[in-house]
Amino acid sequence: MIRTIGLAIAFSPTAERMLSEAVHLVHKFQSRLVLIHVGEHGQEEEALIQKMLNHHDLSKESVTLRWEKGVAAKAIIRACDAENVDLLIAGALKKENLLHYYLGTIARRIMRRAHCSVLLLTQPSLDHSDFKNVVVDAEESPLVGEAVFLACQFASKEKNTWVHVVRELKLYGLAMSASDQCSEEEYSSIRQGLVKDEIEKVEKLLLQVPHEGLKTNIKVVSGKSGFELAQFAQRKQANLLVVCAPPRRFGLLDRVFTHDLEYVFADLPCNLLIVQPRKELQHG
Amino acid sequence: MGKLSHSELIHLMVQLGVMLAFGRVMAEVARKFKQPAVVGEIIAGLLLGPTFLGTFSPDSFDLLFPKTGASAIVLDGFTKVAVVMLLFIAGLEVDLRIVFQQGKQAISSSFFGLIIPFFLGFIIPYSFPDFFGDIGTTNHLLFALFMGTAMAISALPVIVRIMMDLKLFKTRIGMLVVASAMVDDIIGWMIFSIILGMIGKGGEISIGSTLLLTVGFATFMLTVGRGLLNRLLPWVNKKLAWPGGLLALSLSLCFLAAAFTEYIGIHAVFGAFIVGIALGDSEHMSERAKEIVHQFINNVFAPLFFVAIGLKVNFLVNFDPWLTLVILVIAFAGKIIGSGIGTRLGGFTWRESLAAGFGMNARGAMEIILGIVALENGLINEKVFVSLVIMALVTSMTSGPLMKWMLRSPSEQ
Repeated sequence: MIRTIGLAIAFSPTAERMLSEAVHLVHKFQSRLVLIHVGEHGQEEEALIQKMLNHHDLSKESVTLRWEKGVAAKAIIRACDAENVDLLIAGALKKENLLHYYLGTIARRIMRRAHCSVLLLTQPSLDHSDFKNVVVDAEESPLVGEAVFLACQFASKEKNTWVHVVRELKLYGLAMSASDQCSEEEYSSIRQGLVKDEIEKVEKLLLQVPHEGLKTNIKVVSGKSGFELAQFAQRKQANLLVVCAPPRRFGLLDRVFTHDLEYVFADLPCNLLIVQPRKELQHG
Repeated sequence: MGKLSHSELIHLMVQLGVMLAFGRVMAEVARKFKQPAVVGEIIAGLLLGPTFLGTFSPDSFDLLFPKTGASAIVLDGFTKVAVVMLLFIAGLEVDLRIVFQQGKQAISSSFFGLIIPFFLGFIIPYSFPDFFGDIGTTNHLLFALFMGTAMAISALPVIVRIMMDLKLFKTRIGMLVVASAMVDDIIGWMIFSIILGMIGKGGEISIGSTLLLTVGFATFMLTVGRGLLNRLLPWVNKKLAWPGGLLALSLSLCFLAAAFTEYIGIHAVFGAFIVGIALGDSEHMSERAKEIVHQFINNVFAPLFFVAIGLKVNFLVNFDPWLTLVILVIAFAGKIIGSGIGTRLGGFTWRESLAAGFGMNARGAMEIILGIVALENGLINEKVFVSLVIMALVTSMTSGPLMKWMLRSPSEQ
């Protein structure tokens, strides 16, 4: 599963909290931790890292340290590839200004380009985030099973933990407007049929994923899927949103003609987990 | 401000009432035979118009639909507003996201689905203008360009309905066909607008200026305009009455854009179409709001427009079987070959590709709108118009059965 967790670390005020979150997940999944720092590597930096590790009772030997140089996003992704990282954790601002949105910051570049799953934490906590309200996007994707599986894995094991599975009803308006020559009964039957089809697909999916002890909710949305997903996550005050990695890398055009996950990427509604294929699946 | 007299107002109300009632009755008959409403509405127009009523009871026809007078002008205004609104909802139906999602496959399918029918539709009328009744008042090249465009566009709602009936709507092939039809319609209407601009109804405008204005207007509206609308809509949704505020704003923008494109010499329908795309692409334009706009226009203005088609032209007098046959052959061959090749290149089997070609072949209401605008602008004569309407109806009626036949299971084969 998640055998190696990478943490992109900078000596910023949130560094301690980021490490705390990473350590919690390392214990949860019994994974190996790789710390990746891009920038200067001297005695001062060594001392700072040592202090942080001590704070979490981690020995230097139990953690792999990668001191990288170069363009931050590229260097982090390169280190993740080299260490076979399954999950990269990074901090991210909830929203970026217009210029950053179009040009991309380190966190945004990582989430668009990383080859492993990425967990972006908008508000890391020293007591680690407890994911009691998880929203997962069950879009049409080869990764959807993995996304729902990870959503259930990340969800807190405490009582009253919700996993909301969101499914998009594509071109709903167009489908209904093309059905305007029906009787009222036929019209509402078409409407219900469209929704029912999507619910059944999610139910089938949930049958294949262990989710004992979790409360599940299926939500069918229509409209711009990424936008509706972000809105739903906000309404539910979710603390983790799980999405499948897009099938292709988004470019500038996708930001001009905003669509799908770009709505989520532009203004993170909460912590975000972007799911990539598992390494063993990637290598067959 | 001039106003309708008492008798003219009564006349207009009777006209509208009769057209809507007759249109609905015939649409219901069409529905019984599982045909699109537009088929019934056109037939209603034929029965009420010069083709039937005008032939068998000319006095009744002249009494109900006089060619001159204030009520005739107002009725013409109604149909003009209807056509603008129809293009507005055609724009609302375009979902750029679906187009982007389909990526290269949509590009390949829509490119061939556009270029091959356009080429066939252009080259044959260009080579044999007399056969097609090139009306001579306009440029020979423009007529051929129009015919190419008429062969290239498709009817998205008909295609969606067929896909839903065949349970293909949510499949890979279904999404590809829908995305390709959207691309072909955007490009087709842009080409048509350029052709109309080249006729120069809006004054002396060079081809270069028309091209620049058309592409410039579309680019502006789909980028900056779309962004501005996206910022305005949340405010409208939050502060104004719903759906009243949104409907008023949408239709107001539709008419203003239509007025602008008409003013700069490209037809009003183009402005409405592009504003429809820009508005429909906003995440703040909810599906429910779109549904309300659709129902209002599709059930009130669309029947008026399609019934009025039959009132304008005598289909019996202007029916040319050979011309109709040739146009049908070009239409079928162009779309089926073009979209078939494009879809095949997108990685589908030949059977699926040909099925996509049959699906894309439906021209429906869009072809009829294109035809009437061309007729009113002197691009085509009434014979070509009648043939185009028949082609639109035949392609819409045969598209579903042919697609079903092509995708029949091995046991059925």
